[in-house]
Amino acid sequence: MDSRHAPPGVNSRSLTAAQSAAELEVLKQIENVYFSPPNEFDAARYALNHVPSYTNTDDIEQMFTKLKRQQQVVSGKALHLISQQRDNCDKEFAEIQNIRQQLTTTLNTCRQARENLQIASNHLTISTFVILANVRKKQIIKSVLKSLDLLRSLRSVEKDVAELLNKKEYYSAIELILKSLKAASNHKEYTCIADLTSRLEDTLDMTEEKLDSVLSSICYSFDASVFSQLKRAYDLLGKTQAAMEQLHMHYSSAVNESAFEAVKSFVDNVSMETKFQEMCQSVPTNKAPTCLLNLCEKLFLVMRSYYILVNWYNKNEASSNSGNVCDIERNVSREYIKQKLKGGLIRIWHDVQSKVSMFLKSSGLEEYPFEKFIQMLGILRKLTQVAEVFCGDTSDLLQDFIKTQSVAYIKNYHKGRMEELKLFLENEGWEQCPVKSTFTVLHLQEFKQFKKYFKPKTDIGKSSQSSSSVHSLDDSVYIAKYFGQTTRTPFEIFRNENVTNDDIFGLEPESDVSEESDDEPDELKRDFVEDAEVKESPSKVSNSVIVTNTTLSVLRNCGQYLQISRYLPQIALEVIMLMNQLFDYYFFTVHLFFTSDLEVASSTLYTPKLNGVLKRISTLEDNFAIPKLPENLEKTEANLHGLSERIVGVESLIFLAKQFETLHPYLETIVAQHQRMILEHFRDNTLRVVGDLRMPAYMCSASKAVDARSALIGISQVRWDVKTVAGEHSPYVDMIVRKIQVFALRLENISQKVTLNIDIVNGIWGMVAKFIVHLLVEGFSNASKCSNGGRGLMQLDYRQLFVKLEKISGLKPIPYQDYVDRYVKAYYLPRDELEVFVRDRTEYSNKHLITLVGCACENKRDRQALLGVLEGREGS
Amino acid sequence: MTESYEYLFKFLVIGSAGTGKSSLLNNFIGNKFKEDRCHTIGVEFGSKIVNIGGKSTKLQIWDTAGQERFRSVTRSYYRGAAGALLVYDTTSRDSYNALANWLRDARTLASPNIVILLVGNKKDLEESREVTFSEASQFAQDNELMFLETSAKTGENVEEAFLKCSKTILAKIETGELDPERIGSGIQYGTGTAKRISAPKRPSRTPSDCACRV
Repeated sequence: MDSRHAPPGVNSRSLTAAQSAAELEVLKQIENVYFSPPNEFDAARYALNHVPSYTNTDDIEQMFTKLKRQQQVVSGKALHLISQQRDNCDKEFAEIQNIRQQLTTTLNTCRQARENLQIASNHLTISTFVILANVRKKQIIKSVLKSLDLLRSLRSVEKDVAELLNKKEYYSAIELILKSLKAASNHKEYTCIADLTSRLEDTLDMTEEKLDSVLSSICYSFDASVFSQLKRAYDLLGKTQAAMEQLHMHYSSAVNESAFEAVKSFVDNVSMETKFQEMCQSVPTNKAPTCLLNLCEKLFLVMRSYYILVNWYNKNEASSNSGNVCDIERNVSREYIKQKLKGGLIRIWHDVQSKVSMFLKSSGLEEYPFEKFIQMLGILRKLTQVAEVFCGDTSDLLQDFIKTQSVAYIKNYHKGRMEELKLFLENEGWEQCPVKSTFTVLHLQEFKQFKKYFKPKTDIGKSSQSSSSVHSLDDSVYIAKYFGQTTRTPFEIFRNENVTNDDIFGLEPESDVSEESDDEPDELKRDFVEDAEVKESPSKVSNSVIVTNTTLSVLRNCGQYLQISRYLPQIALEVIMLMNQLFDYYFFTVHLFFTSDLEVASSTLYTPKLNGVLKRISTLEDNFAIPKLPENLEKTEANLHGLSERIVGVESLIFLAKQFETLHPYLETIVAQHQRMILEHFRDNTLRVVGDLRMPAYMCSASKAVDARSALIGISQVRWDVKTVAGEHSPYVDMIVRKIQVFALRLENISQKVTLNIDIVNGIWGMVAKFIVHLLVEGFSNASKCSNGGRGLMQLDYRQLFVKLEKISGLKPIPYQDYVDRYVKAYYLPRDELEVFVRDRTEYSNKHLITLVGCACENKRDRQALLGVLEGREGS
Repeated sequence: MTESYEYLFKFLVIGSAGTGKSSLLNNFIGNKFKEDRCHTIGVEFGSKIVNIGGKSTKLQIWDTAGQERFRSVTRSYYRGAAGALLVYDTTSRDSYNALANWLRDARTLASPNIVILLVGNKKDLEESREVTFSEASQFAQDNELMFLETSAKTGENVEEAFLKCSKTILAKIETGELDPERIGSGIQYGTGTAKRISAPKRPSRTPSDCACRV
């Protein structure tokens, strides 16, 4: 550019250096103003303006030339410069052309690309949209389809649920319903759903009802798989707790229902309104045991179901407990249910007890025959054992009930036995029943079971005490088995016809069979007759057994009573007391029958203990009819006024007492410690006193051995105021001896019929002796006048009499002889001693003593004094 | 126990040992049959109220031991019996042969009017029968007895035997042939309700005029 600004013409090639210099000089002389752009500078004007004022033509010429020159130079210069720049220009131009061409190509390419791009882009966008549209459609259709599916499944929920319920898949059923409900609530937008929802609700309700009914069926037979299904279903419903409450109600009504059903079949005309109690009352007595059995069995099924339920729950919930600790609410509920179940055991047992009690109360238990009663007891006992396993309850309620009912039963039973005993006694012939001399109560069949308690004495306590505890343990294990999943019940045993009472009561089986069979037939099969035996003379018989038919009957009854007490250990004492009452009644009757004709007033015949017993048993009259005196007893002189019967009566009583004593050790083992005193008292004050009855009973006959009147006359005919002692005894002695000989003969006759042992014989002769000594004293006291010689004769007489009596009776010395001896010898006492005698010897009557004093005291004053003593004695 | 009855009959069951007398009684009063019973010792007793022709009647039955040795014991029960079952064993000729003796005992000891029914027991053991129906029937006819064959084991005719005998007694009462009022008739009136026979007056012990005090 600078070059452009340089003066033109500088670069002209044609110019010579000189010229160029000159031209350069010219250029230099050109004013700069001329190089101004033409639009701002008017060269002509400027040249004109700079023409000096004085103006000559030369100057103008000069100036012209100069300007001309300048112009030439400038033009030249300019030309030169232009030519100089031409190549460059051309080159540049070609360049430009080239660029232009390239641009055109580029443009085309661009255009082409764009076109292609457009095509491509157009193509791509459209297909995408179609796809998208299709997808969307598909989705919509899918959702519609889903809804439709849902609707369809919702519609079939009812059916599916029913199917599931049939398959006992309660959990799935509930799950299905709940899901459906949820689904339904999610699709409220469909109008059909609203309708469906309500139907689903109905289905849910119905299903719950169904569950409830299944739940109630659980009560009768617990099925773990069903119940766990149910439980899960209720869990799902969130109604576990409510369901458990409901289940308890079901159990409660199951008890009712079972009881009703069990009794119903035994009663005609049952309507639904019939009350349980009324129904129980109309069960016929002969069906009652079976009915009770049924009742217990049915109730047991409910109990078993509950028992398994509780166990199941404890087992399953215990395991699931560990899983979820955070869920406090659930744990609380679980604990609540657990407690509820635990309490339920007691409650159900209580219900069961009250049902059974009600049945028993209204079924007239005491009317049952013995066997049936025992069976009923067995059933109840089993039930209490069941309860012990079931809820650990000792079932006091039922036990008490059993006890009171048992007491009532045994009392009623006893009443029957007493009536029977009365009949037996009234019909008794008082003949000796032929049994072996070794016979004891243990030979009776009724006592077969008790034998073992009497054998080795040491065993008694042990076996009986230990056995009971062992048994209750065994029982509970044994009963527990029935609480497992089994169809059997502990009551089945009662359906067996051949079941023995011992089986029922789970008592020890009878001891060794071999041992048994050894002893048993003694009395039963082997002959124990005495027919063939030669009767031994009475004095030699030391051990005879005199029993009557009634004695055996009493003993047999005792056997029955003891059996009852085995099954009812808690009322053993009551039973024993009733057993003792049988004895008392027998005692009472023997006394009544065989002493009522006692013709001698007596104070010494009855020992105080005997009087005590008789006083006690006289109260029997208040409660029981007294047997009628036998009409057919022959009482003749020849049979010694029924002495044989008297002997059999009294001795059989004594035998009976012995048998009761034999039982004593056993009885002691079956009553409580503190009750033993009662037994001992009975033994000491009743059983051991019966021997005393021999005296009054035998006296009845003995007092007729000698005719008192003629004997007294005989004595009175003797002169007692003789001076010398006679050498011969008086005649009345022989008279009495003869009578005694006759008596002895007749007694011998009796001994052919009745085995008389030495005790009996001595007892009888003792009474004869007693009668005779009293007779003598009475006779001697009639002698108001008596000399020393007379006193001697008296001694002679009675000595003679006793010698004879000793010979005949075999008694030595003759008992009671002191009585007459002392009386007669009192005559010799000095005054003072006589006074003591008179005062203290109360066994003699005043009449006896007055005569004694009258004979013994010569001195009148002494006599008066002694009689005074006597009066004083009477007064006191 | 309240029991009411119009009549009470005293009954005997007699016959040789082992003929099944106790089994008959037990069957009648409702106990189970036991295959091997023991011999009865002395006398056993059972009672039952039955309905005869609309009248409830209590049977007081004495089951006597058949063994000879008990004869003296059992005899005292014969007195005043209204009816008796005379039992023999159809499988035992001996028991049949003894009938005449038993019959005589019954008629002399009990009462000539006693109503007796001959019972041929154990008819279930047909294979070992030794006494035919017809000969026993003839015996009954000759001795004016009623006759039945029974089985205490199966219970066949057992109740009938007692009832038949009772019916006859009742019929005799109604015709006046038997007089219940007579002492020793073996018949008592019931009161129709539970009756407690009033306790007999206890004979007061009267001290004898015998002057001696013992």
